[in-house]
This record gives sequence, C-alpha cells and structure tokens, in this order.
Amino acid sequence: MPTLENNALVFRFLEIDPEARFSIDFQRTLRIPDSERDYPLPPGFGRFPLRHVEDYAALPAHTRRRGGVILPLWQAEALWLNFGGGWGGDLPVAVKVAAGKINAVTGETWTAPLNRNPQDYVVWPEQPWLDGFAIEPGVIRQFVAMPLGEGYSVEEQLTEDAEWGGLQISVTPMRREAWERLKTSHSVGLMEEVAFSMSSCASAEMGLGAGGRMRQSIESDPYTLEDWDQRATQRVFVTLWHASRWRALTGEPVPTEPPSAEDYARAGLPWFQHYGRGAEPLHGSDRLAGVKSVGTLHSEKTETSFPGSHDVATPEPVRLGPGAKGPREIKHGLDW
Amino acid sequence: MKQGGQSFGSHLRSLREAKARTDPAFSLRQLAQRCGVTPPYLSRLERDEVAPPSEEVLRLLAAELGEDTDVMLALGGKISTDLRAAILARPKLFAELIRSLKDVPDHAVLRLVRDVADGDW
Repeated sequence: MPTLENNALVFRFLEIDPEARFSIDFQRTLRIPDSERDYPLPPGFGRFPLRHVEDYAALPAHTRRRGGVILPLWQAEALWLNFGGGWGGDLPVAVKVAAGKINAVTGETWTAPLNRNPQDYVVWPEQPWLDGFAIEPGVIRQFVAMPLGEGYSVEEQLTEDAEWGGLQISVTPMRREAWERLKTSHSVGLMEEVAFSMSSCASAEMGLGAGGRMRQSIESDPYTLEDWDQRATQRVFVTLWHASRWRALTGEPVPTEPPSAEDYARAGLPWFQHYGRGAEPLHGSDRLAGVKSVGTLHSEKTETSFPGSHDVATPEPVRLGPGAKGPREIKHGLDW
Repeated sequence: MKQGGQSFGSHLRSLREAKARTDPAFSLRQLAQRCGVTPPYLSRLERDEVAPPSEEVLRLLAAELGEDTDVMLALGGKISTDLRAAILARPKLFAELIRSLKDVPDHAVLRLVRDVADGDW
C-alpha cells in the first residue's frame, strides 16, 4: 500500500524494483472559466494537505470504512493530479483515476482490472499529470469540487446517486521482466527526458464535477496489457472534505482560497501546453462528453451565472514535454 | 554537511546547473530572486563559503530545483519544523528509535513506515 510523505501518496514496488518510486500529489490551481473555449494548462499553486482518514474519529463511519486519505478543498475549487517518480529509474506505472467511482478516462463505473478497449488508465511517465475528465481527443473538462448531494458531480449525473464522491486511484507497475527489457533498450533515454520535462454547503463531503474545457491529451498506452503486473496493484480512496470544515476536523488552519483565473490573467502569469511524443491521443469518453458542466448546472439551478465564467485573455502558452523542456510551473505561496 | 561525498554547496550547484543547461530561469540571478536571496549570497552558498540558509530558503530551493525537501533540509543540517515538533513531543523514544534504526537497510525501515489504509469501497 502507498505511504503518505510530504503530502504526497508514494507507491513503491519493492518486489519489482527496490529503487522504484512513484508519487501522486494533488495540486491547487485556479478554476478555468467554464465556457466553450479550450484553455491551456494553468499552473500549480502547491500541494493540498493530505491526512490519514483513520486519524479522525469524527469522520462519518462510511468514510472511515473506506480508509485512505482526506484532502480539504473549497466549493468550486479545482485541482490536478501531479505524477512523479524519482530515485532509481522511472518504472512505468498504469494509473486508474475515478471520481465518485466514475472512471475519468472512460466515464464507466470503476472496475479493478486494467482495460484496453477502451483504455481506462493513463501511463506514467508518458502522462505527467491529469487535470480532468477526458471528453474529446486532446480535450478534458477540469476537475472542480462541489458538495456531494447537490447534483453537480459527474457521479450524480451519470448514476443519479451521490454515494461515493472523492477520488479513487489505483497504480499498477510494469512487470519485472518487461521493466528489465525496457531498461536495457534505448527507449529509457526517451523516458528520462519525459520525466525531466515534468518536470456554505450542506455536506462536508465533496464530489468532482466537470469544469471548463482544457487542452490535455490522454496518451495511449505504448506497452501491452501483459506488460502490467496487475497482482501488484495498489489503490487508495481520497475523500474530498469541504475546506470550511477542515479546522473543526483536524485542528489545522483552514487552507486559503486560490486566486481566480481573472486575478491570474490580470497578473500576466504564464499558462502551459504539453507536447507529447506525437502519439495518438485517446478518443475521450462520449459518456463524459454528455455530462453538463458545473457552470451550466449552476445556471440552470439558480438562473444566475457561475462566478468566474467569463473568458480571460491568456498569452501564448509555455511549451512543455518531450519536445520542449521545463517542468509545469508550481508557484509556492499565494501571496503574489 | 556531506552526502555521498558531496557538500551542501556543490550539491546545490550541480542541481541548479543541470536545470540551467536547458532553462535560463535557473541562472544564479533568477533563482536567487525567486528564493528571496541575493545572487552573491547564492553564489557563496554554492561554494560552501557560508553556512547553509534558513529552513524557509531551503524549502524554496528544494521546490525550485525539484529536490526532496527532507533531503535538502538534511544536507543543510536542518530538521523540518514538523519533524522537530514530533521529536520534541517524545524525545527519548524518538532518539532511541532513530539510533536503533540507523544501520537498518532501507527496505526494512520502509516496513515501519505507516501505510495508507485501504478499506471497503
């Protein structure tokens, strides 16, 4: 099972490679406008805190039964998943991500095994991060937190139930034999390059809805299904907890609210675009494409426009990825 | 402090120079500016002419250079505030624990690290 280190989930696969390490942290970010425009990638503003669920007896019994970790965020706050490796080489992993047990790549209900047709996982290091639900080739809708039970989450729209909320993640390493083969082939050089480039609500429980449109490809798996060691899969449930209730639960300070896209654009700060190896991106999910965005639902429910829905000007995005160096910017501190 | 034969300053310099080879944002001047120190001070840090900086600056340097924060703090001879608090809460117990583990191989130490519990979902 993963460990919790410096607000990141760290997965190790000692039986495959004692040096291998894969981590996931959850980056604070701005919510892009919920419009028809496709936005480039926003930056990260640092890691969300993560805590062990089992440390908090005040959590509901069903949350405690699920185990995993708890993460505070505000209503309508966005987040992205930052994947990383480190230490002894970059053992490839297949990462399944679901929100409310709805797969973020296919829109289907969570299943444990990896599926190839359609592919229901992303592959690291090819995929350095994930910002939302895959709706079209090269386009996602941003992960945006909303209180569970109010009908905004993708889970509620697709299942008409608000049972799970949160994020569910599984990580499957490459088989040892396939990893040994890969290490000795010249493609390891390419992979290192990719890794370097990566460089007031009723419920406290939150689910993820579909926010604004963003340009992000989900890359197809360059390996075979047999290359993944599914006996070694590790998984974790991430409960999303309303930030306004964080202090009451943990005694820790309430996290600050992130800047708006308008504030960020006004400051003239950079946006990003990932350039992969030119592999065919996954098609995206028709099921997820049919989901209504948080902004659309808010307008329907309240007959008012969703805050921060107006488009903002973005400069030419900074290029990242194998074809362009540099990590996606993570700004520490929100006091700029 | 040295790790793997490398001093704090030379480790810092090699991390920065590796980044600077492909990104001008990692020049001495620009990195110093982002970390709230002067370029001459950063230069002296890299040459081990001054003692390692504060925890705050070490954290900024780690974040900028993609180094693990605990590794950067350790190389700078510091212990992070949260670790210090944990040790001070039970100093005798933790001192004993760390001494008893100092020669234990990594894989055995990792068995002691608490897993994220998985449950029913």
